Amino acid sequence: MSEFINENPDVIEIDDLPSRKEDVSRDILLGSVGNEMTLQRKKLLLSIDDSKSKVLQNLELLDKLLLINPPELTSDEESIEESDDEELNAEGPTDVVDAQEIYDLTAHISDPEHPLSLGQLSIVNLSDIEVHDCGDPKKMAEVVIRITPTITHCSLATLIGLGIRVRLERSLPPRYRITILLKEGTHNSENQVNKQLNDKERVAAACENEQLLGVVSKMLLTCL
Amino acid sequence: MGIKLAKSLKLQNDKLWSLDYSHGLLATGSTDRKIKIINVTNAPRGQVSLMDVLDDTVHKKAIRCVAWRPHSNLLAAGSFDSTVSIWTREDDLEEEEDDDEGEGTTNSLEMDLLAIIEGHENEVKGIAWSHDGALLSSCSRDKSVWIWETDQDGEEYECISVLQEHSQDVKHVVWHPELPLLASSSYDDTIRLWKDYDDDWECAAVLNGHEGTVWCSDFEKGKNGESIRLCSGSDDSTVRVWRYIDDDEDGQQEWICEAILPKVHDRQIYSVSWSTNGLIASTGSDGTLAVYKEVSNGDDEHDWEVIAKQELCHGVYEANIVKWIDINGNMMLATGGDDGCVNLWNWTD
Repeated sequence: MSEFINENPDVIEIDDLPSRKEDVSRDILLGSVGNEMTLQRKKLLLSIDDSKSKVLQNLELLDKLLLINPPELTSDEESIEESDDEELNAEGPTDVVDAQEIYDLTAHISDPEHPLSLGQLSIVNLSDIEVHDCGDPKKMAEVVIRITPTITHCSLATLIGLGIRVRLERSLPPRYRITILLKEGTHNSENQVNKQLNDKERVAAACENEQLLGVVSKMLLTCL
Repeated sequence: MGIKLAKSLKLQNDKLWSLDYSHGLLATGSTDRKIKIINVTNAPRGQVSLMDVLDDTVHKKAIRCVAWRPHSNLLAAGSFDSTVSIWTREDDLEEEEDDDEGEGTTNSLEMDLLAIIEGHENEVKGIAWSHDGALLSSCSRDKSVWIWETDQDGEEYECISVLQEHSQDVKHVVWHPELPLLASSSYDDTIRLWKDYDDDWECAAVLNGHEGTVWCSDFEKGKNGESIRLCSGSDDSTVRVWRYIDDDEDGQQEWICEAILPKVHDRQIYSVSWSTNGLIASTGSDGTLAVYKEVSNGDDEHDWEVIAKQELCHGVYEANIVKWIDINGNMMLATGGDDGCVNLWNWTD
């Protein structure tokens, strides 16, 4: 993987590649005093004030205010954490995952029988990945990934699905429920494979099968 | 009416699959191959103590299920390594004599391996003791349900039946609390009931209706055999209640699906439990713990209502099991999750 490969060939311009959604307010608010803590404080103050006060609209003044009075705010943060108020919780940015990130995590997995990756074989496609996430780290989120086997009787579809599941379970935070499905009409025993890939107990047992785990580990060697 | 967390115990380092309660003791089993024994006698007041961690070299893979034998000190554990282990503990007599030496004595209890039962071809997924403790049933990914007979000591196990009618993995088995009647739940989307026909165990009924793997079922309790009902939870996110109607001329049991409980879950339901006072609890992949109650709706009609709901009962992790436990008259719910925790919930009516 030394050369750059566009894993997402629908996109011609590099700037058009989707990426993690950045908070647009970040750059504006960071300004001269630049760390996460102050950023969070500013957001907090702005949201409380609802931008009616001229002082708080003036970012320079806001920066000065924050610098004058940091200890008090820190202690406030502690009490906020205890009170469990999600909106005011100043724990820093949440780890939101988007479809591109799921794609990047899975596209480099090697196909078990070809010397190519799942992305190169278009088994994994960005357009077939859905992420349902409210962004709250205390709530569950869901990733649905539909895979396209190379042939409709591909006997290795289950193994490919297992490789993707193992990769995602190891990489994503535990709040993500992962659903792996064969894309409709791409496999003769679609329902059977889908059922197996999403049976938690079967997957857990497969992960204790040395031989199977050996094959999966090889598939994952090409992941960064 | 409600559910309130009494105690959360981080017991295992991996998925906690199973738990069972008897005589003040809670046993747990996990992917980390450890079986733990916890004294929960004072759990309603938030106090618990770890009594023993069983030898974790006995099983070579995850512990999938644990079950205390009724009227005895034996514990059975089923594992993905295809075997079932039987554990025994010494009597508690010594403890009482040592009481003067301090409280430490009640914090130990030793359980030793008594027997290993082999027979299944691959992962054992469920085990259950009959109400009198004479029979042990086990089920596996090999699609079979085995019935083992044992003696008072529980040292020798003789297989008296291998039931192979399920077409896929058998996920769970449970005995009726008073009758020699066994229910098995399967990946083939059905539940089968098994009974003894003149010393031959045979399938008495097949319950069709769920639209996905059936993970678990539980019988209604305290009816003295007057009526027989079963509740079940499935991949299709529904909890169903089934009622036994009658035997037909061939001796087959006729069952109907009597109710589909109000929808609470939006993912797989992994576990259901029917309390001695008629409440059903369910939990699963969405981490919600729900309690349902049957309410009269005029004449002879009954409806089920959701009377309590606890979301994210193991944080963002999936919950694998729920059981009603009665600690000296205090009704509690015990849940186990992928976070390796057992959560004990006080229940108030």
